Amino acid sequence: MSKRITFILSIGILGVLFFILSFPLNHWLSQTMPRHQLIQLPLMLVIGLFIGYQNKNINITNLPWGIAILILALFSLMFWMLPRSIDLTVVYPWFNRVMHLHIVGVGFFISLVFRNIMFEVQMAFLLMLSAMLIATGAVLKTFAILLCSSFTIEQQHETGLYLLSFGILLFVVTLFLFFKGLGKVSNQRSSF
Amino acid sequence: MLQENPAEQKRHKKLIVIWSVTFLILFPVLIALGLLMRLNQGEVFKIDPGTFYALMTLHGLGMAGVLFSFSWAALFYLIGTRYIKLNIGLGYLVYLLVLIGTVGLVIASLIGKFAAGWYLLYPLPFKGVSWTGWSTGLTIVSLIILGVAWLLGSLHVVYALAKEYGSFSNLMGWQYLGKTEPEKELPSIVLITTASLVPAILSFIVGAVFLIMNLMQHFEASLTFDPLLLKNMVFFFGHTLVNVTMYCCVAWVYVLLPEFTKRDWKVNKVVVYSWNGTFIFIMFAYFHHLYMDFVQPVSLHYAGQIASYMSSIPATVVTMFGLIVQVYHAKIKWSIIPMAFLLGMAGWAIGGFAAVVDSTMSINKILHNTLWVPAHFHTYMLLGVVLFILGFLFYLAHNNKEERDAVKPGLGFWTFVFGASGFLLMFYLGGMKSVPRRYADYTGIDIGNVHETGALLAKTAGGFVIIVLIGLLIMYGSLFSKLLKASK
Repeated sequence: MSKRITFILSIGILGVLFFILSFPLNHWLSQTMPRHQLIQLPLMLVIGLFIGYQNKNINITNLPWGIAILILALFSLMFWMLPRSIDLTVVYPWFNRVMHLHIVGVGFFISLVFRNIMFEVQMAFLLMLSAMLIATGAVLKTFAILLCSSFTIEQQHETGLYLLSFGILLFVVTLFLFFKGLGKVSNQRSSF
Repeated sequence: MLQENPAEQKRHKKLIVIWSVTFLILFPVLIALGLLMRLNQGEVFKIDPGTFYALMTLHGLGMAGVLFSFSWAALFYLIGTRYIKLNIGLGYLVYLLVLIGTVGLVIASLIGKFAAGWYLLYPLPFKGVSWTGWSTGLTIVSLIILGVAWLLGSLHVVYALAKEYGSFSNLMGWQYLGKTEPEKELPSIVLITTASLVPAILSFIVGAVFLIMNLMQHFEASLTFDPLLLKNMVFFFGHTLVNVTMYCCVAWVYVLLPEFTKRDWKVNKVVVYSWNGTFIFIMFAYFHHLYMDFVQPVSLHYAGQIASYMSSIPATVVTMFGLIVQVYHAKIKWSIIPMAFLLGMAGWAIGGFAAVVDSTMSINKILHNTLWVPAHFHTYMLLGVVLFILGFLFYLAHNNKEERDAVKPGLGFWTFVFGASGFLLMFYLGGMKSVPRRYADYTGIDIGNVHETGALLAKTAGGFVIIVLIGLLIMYGSLFSKLLKASK
């Protein structure tokens, strides 16, 4: 199979996946907060990442642009973590789809930037992402009042717990990767 | 050791000159804010409390940010021109982000009147009546931008060092702890940079979590958080940042002073033990800021006292001993550069001692939130970090050893040191007389003669600040032109 056909096929599969998640499954995924925040959103990000990964022709090699895109991506993701935004996405399916498209876009650009950017910048991005997840998780887990009227308090706490755990895990893994990276460069150096 | 590449060196020099000129412009402006505050406390003129606290916020955030940024930039220059190849593009990006963050803080404080103090003590940023809502958001976003810049810069330096000197354990000098001598010598600047920047990286992340939580509350007013948790987070971030600023400066003194004394200042077992101790304990020392928080577990208070002693004493003692070995009977020409480094070390030791005194619980009961606190941190900032920076700037402005030896500490330098010492003395005397800190004025204090003493000391301190500014201006006369010439 030629590369072009593989590319078209994979983009097609990702498109179908996006459609399924955003249309037929949207109602079910929007019923509870964990489904919405922990399944639908991350999957959209993964779709975006894969689309970017498949696009070998587009490259962002300029360091300042790359960093600027990553910072913008993080700031824009924060919008979808606000309780009011989450409420609107559940009430209005079209608003939910705006969010889906945005998150796919974010994933796409992150993927384009990540494959060429310096290791240190990758680590900085992952550390900031973990900070965001920890902050959001802490908010949802500890707040005793219902933040999103479309969900229940138990769902809110459950989502918060998972986000907090995932944030801490990402933080630890990133630190591990960073120190492993330090070890790796030293091995490369000694093998010269 | 790095192979010399003239074009690369020139690019590095251009970047550090840009940093230097920015520092030289911002620093006296921030001092002027402090002067206005002291003169208001001294009842020379009247500023409304809202403006006073806005100035205090900008002075605190600005100084902490500018001093750390410059100490990092100087490390970036020294490491990038002597030891390893660093990405200058990233250096410029860090500069740009720091500039954007600083402009944001200036707008938030001077136009939006944001006045919650550098530590944004939760929930104060959301309760203030003297500042606009948008200024809270702008301050938080500006601090996030600064945090991103520092995180990127620190990660890059540490990672690039690892490329040259090996894994994290090598950077921390653990190879010196074995029985055999290490194959490759580890420069002291590498050890101290790693011991400083890695805790800084961790503190930036905690700071980021803190700021994001604040930003969420800014957008969603119904949110509330545990104030004690957020206080712990902000002091972990802020206390570590300020300490790391000093250690970054010490790192470059380890490299530059030997050029004047002609004696090596090498890494050995004792140096490794002391800086590894600092690396660990620096992260727990901040607990001494929370002694008065009765809901904080008592065990953490004890941990804070122990960590405060352990993080500062070993590194200080070992460095001071190293310094004495460096200068004792050395045929050194006491130009302004080694003199600034020597006095800077003294400032570190005196300010550090005052800090350790205040971190002792039984004493903290008396000195807590008195002028003793600004006394100690102004000592190691103004007579420590700033002297190191001035020494570094004079080093940078002169291109060879002869020129560097020839710049004597003249009128400007001694005026600065005299003014700074007098200014600090007023803080210490205020602390001893129980004059509280963070008071816009002392008119409402009806206890003994605290009001009169506080006002008199503040007025006198204002006079000394003017002397500091005059000293700086005299030094600027030669510094500016030489710095710009040196970059060509």
